[in-house]
Amino acid sequence: MSRLFLRKLLRDMKTRKGSLLALLAIVTIGVGVYIGFAAVYRDLDGSRERYYRDYRLADFTVYLKRAPAWSVQETAMLANVREARGRVQQSVLIEVPHQLKPISGTAISMPLRREPVLNDIFLRSGMWFSDNDKREVIIDDAFAKAHRLQPGSRIKVLLLDKQHDLLVVGTAMSPEFVYLIPPGGGFTPDAENYGVLYLPEKFLQESSDLDGAYNQIIGSVHDDSPPILNFTLRVIENRLEAYGVTQSLAARDQASVRFLEDELVGVKISSRISPTIFLLVAALVMNVLIGRMVAQQRTVIGTLKALGYSTSMVTRHYLNYGLFIGIVGGVTGTLFGFWMQNVFVQMYRQFFALPEINAHFYFDILATGFLISIGFALVGTLKGVRYAVSLEPAEAMRPPPPEKGGKVLPERITVFWRILSFRQRMVLRAVFRNPFRSGVNVTASLISTALIVMTLCNTDALDSLMSFEFEKTAHQDMTISLRDPVGIRVQTDFQQLPGVSETEPQLLVVCDLSNGPFEKRAGVMGLVRNNRLYTPIDEQNRRIAVPESGLLLTKKLAELLHVSRGDTIRLRPLIARREIVYSPVVGIVDSYLGLSAYADIRYLSRLLGEEWAANTMLFTSFRKTYDPAFLRELTMRPVVVGINERLQALHKIDEVFGQSMGIMIFVMVLFAGMIAFGSVLNSALVSLSEREREVGTLRVLGYTPAQISGIFSGESFLLNGMGIFFGVFAGMGLVHLLSMAYSTELYRFPVVIYFSRLLESAFLMCLFISLAQWIVFRMVRKLNWLDALKVKE
Amino acid sequence: MVLQRVLLSIRSVSKVYRMGEVDVHALRNASLDIYDGEFLIIIGPSGSGKSTLLNQIGGMDRPTSGTISFMDRELSKSSDYELTLYRRREVGFIFQFYNLIPTLTALENVQVATEIVENPMTAMEALQRVGLAGRADHFPSQLSGGEQQRISVARALASNPRLLLCDEPTGALDVETSRQVLGMLSKLNRELQKTVVLITHNNAIAGLGDRVARIRDGTIHHIRTNDPPKSVEEIHW
Ligand SMILES: Nc1ncnc2c1ncn2[C@@H]1O[C@H](COP(=O)(O)OP(=O)(O)OP(=O)(O)O)[C@@H](O)[C@H]1O
Ligand SMILES: [Mg+2]
Repeated sequence: MSRLFLRKLLRDMKTRKGSLLALLAIVTIGVGVYIGFAAVYRDLDGSRERYYRDYRLADFTVYLKRAPAWSVQETAMLANVREARGRVQQSVLIEVPHQLKPISGTAISMPLRREPVLNDIFLRSGMWFSDNDKREVIIDDAFAKAHRLQPGSRIKVLLLDKQHDLLVVGTAMSPEFVYLIPPGGGFTPDAENYGVLYLPEKFLQESSDLDGAYNQIIGSVHDDSPPILNFTLRVIENRLEAYGVTQSLAARDQASVRFLEDELVGVKISSRISPTIFLLVAALVMNVLIGRMVAQQRTVIGTLKALGYSTSMVTRHYLNYGLFIGIVGGVTGTLFGFWMQNVFVQMYRQFFALPEINAHFYFDILATGFLISIGFALVGTLKGVRYAVSLEPAEAMRPPPPEKGGKVLPERITVFWRILSFRQRMVLRAVFRNPFRSGVNVTASLISTALIVMTLCNTDALDSLMSFEFEKTAHQDMTISLRDPVGIRVQTDFQQLPGVSETEPQLLVVCDLSNGPFEKRAGVMGLVRNNRLYTPIDEQNRRIAVPESGLLLTKKLAELLHVSRGDTIRLRPLIARREIVYSPVVGIVDSYLGLSAYADIRYLSRLLGEEWAANTMLFTSFRKTYDPAFLRELTMRPVVVGINERLQALHKIDEVFGQSMGIMIFVMVLFAGMIAFGSVLNSALVSLSEREREVGTLRVLGYTPAQISGIFSGESFLLNGMGIFFGVFAGMGLVHLLSMAYSTELYRFPVVIYFSRLLESAFLMCLFISLAQWIVFRMVRKLNWLDALKVKE
Repeated sequence: MVLQRVLLSIRSVSKVYRMGEVDVHALRNASLDIYDGEFLIIIGPSGSGKSTLLNQIGGMDRPTSGTISFMDRELSKSSDYELTLYRRREVGFIFQFYNLIPTLTALENVQVATEIVENPMTAMEALQRVGLAGRADHFPSQLSGGEQQRISVARALASNPRLLLCDEPTGALDVETSRQVLGMLSKLNRELQKTVVLITHNNAIAGLGDRVARIRDGTIHHIRTNDPPKSVEEIHW
């Protein structure tokens, strides 16, 4: 492009800076969202991969009762197994200085001398153990930070029935716990209330009654593709049967690995879908803008052709408009994208315990972002360029053919047409004579309305899921987990603890359920009759009544097992004697929770071969705060392995998600609003430029700027009203799609659509549109209408 | 005055526009020779086909039938690209409404023409020829109609074309300004030997040309030679 035509281009752009800025904002968001998401994906993925590789995340974990050391060697010899390591993992209660409540945690054995074992840990501060009998511990880095512990601090750890006074020598993080969710503790990491400790192997073995043995074997394999790995796990389970295998887990099924992977997949999908939406709208809006610019330059095109410019030269000139917008949008989008990347990285640092998540610069993402920007921008000039190409030189020199004068559709309905004022008629004519522009307008506001509806309803769905789990179902103040099922007499014991108001025992048993060839692992929950502290409800908010005998399955579970009411299924509990038993399915319930089953606690106990057992105790307390005496008593009970506070977990979720959710909602609504604002402003400005002469005439006739902009806003509200109307439905459709996308086997993401949210979305849209209209009004007022009348097109 | 060489010959040219059901015959069997270096005026009432004829001559359009040859090249059979090159190198257009690009300055408007030809005069030189070098940096909206038309003459001139085609160049100008522009054109014809074809429906201007062709209903029905042609100062309207 010669400097001459560059200058022309820049000046042409300047005459339309309002529209151009609106358009660029949309392009910027589109490109920025792409670059931001794509780059943060790369950052996160890279950091994850390095971490898993350098610290050697194991491919599988097998949980056993007690495996002698040589069984580890035996496992390592099996086909496909590359390496195996025995570990001890034990639930503990931790007491830290200045903290009343004992904190649940888990202790994991590490070799005494540092070596690059599987599931190695990354030492953040301090150093490795010095000797076995020095009573040293390395603690989870986030836990240390939450309690202001550092190398040199001391903590008390209750292991089985003995309390140990340990010296913190280091803080560390593990690839196993990038996203550490406390067992039974909700959806978020909670470093304050759950800790991981690393202890020298021998020390932990001895204090866990596992001298020379392990209760976990972790390993790596040659081929970790799901079918092969599953087969390998089956072989290992069989081989280790005698040592009491309770469970085996592939790395990808571990909560932390899974959560991080899901998040990454989400980011990747976002990096594709969101930019596509924004850039599609941008391309449409741009077609309106450039189309108008080119149509206005009809004689310029004719003159250029008369001067001997070839069609391809003229075409290139107008394609350069697209190129220009693509490049400028690429630059602003890149800047915006890098900013977003940094914000995301900041956010993920809080969510994920990765050694380092840094915002890196990726040239190829930048280049792709630019290419996408330019590509969409060129698509955005199609309409204009096609016009420029098709215009014959001789034709271009003649005035444009008069607007299609035919009657527009509503004009044919004479009864209707007659009652309209002339201004209303002008609105309708403008709408119907520019079908493309009107279509773009409707589409853009449809899309932004749908996005807003989706965003708002999404938060309601999350809220409802939370309240479902933490308010409607659970009512206890505290949950105490016991190491093994114990006789029901323990309830009386707990009932007498200081400050306790009500107690309710539960029996939670993870079982492998099967029906013929269909097998699924699920938690079976044994509930007491007249359960008050934990009352599962179905999707219609009705309490689920547990029958005296037989199992209730959630619909999802029943589907996976292909069973219906009356069928008998097989259960293999993963605790106690682990003997296969059979039970009839007496009911199927609709629930947001996916893989659950309910039974009477005594019935479930009998299936386990016990009279009446419990392994979980729910409490309410009189004071709603901890009685120190209560806590002291609890800590003295070796059977207690976990203490959870319901409200605390809920607050934690609010704290972790609440803020970032708030920001996300704000940003999404803002982005969606930008689409609406940009498209409305652009089409109003285009229509203003087409009708400057009309505006001038009306001004001469004595119409006020407000009356005239009323014509434009009438057009705008008609089109956008339609867009909003259909957008609300499209949004509701998106909510359903999203629920399907977010639903996992574990829970179904609810569809929650409140009418008030739909109104709110429509209101927000009106706000954005009004803002654009206000700008148009100011332009009408400022328009030099005398000039507009003199101008010859 | 002896006119030897035929620059452009138009033979039985017809141009028919299809407008839905009806055919509009803009040109019917028009024939005309244009000599190298002459000042030819085509005159006729509105709608008689003047602009259509000029478009065929200028390679903006192709006739429905008949032939147009520029020297030994047959324009009516040329490709789009050949016509583009023809317009670029051989023809300078001057339009009734100047058709300057509003977002370019006077100088830049002339440069639009010089950019794509091989041996142009400089844009500044062209502006000097029309006496507007001082307004080089002004935008069209800052210039009067006459000045704009002179810029457009400079633009047509700058690519050193052999042929200047003017479609009612004074149609939008007052008498005094018209005189200026016409004077300039006849000077270019005399001093630079440009062939000038000028369209008008104004009889008063007819006297300026070496020859005057009258067109009516799409046909050239009369050609007259002015011997000698009048100077700009001599004509009145
Ligand atoms: N593209 C076109 N489509 C249809 N009809 C056309 C087209 N161009 C010209 N005409 C018709 O051809 C006839 C001659 O048109 P032309 O523009 O050549 O006239 P003119 O002599 O230049 O008139 P004026 O003095 O008004 O400019 C007219 O009737 C016009 O309507
Ligand atoms: Mg004409």
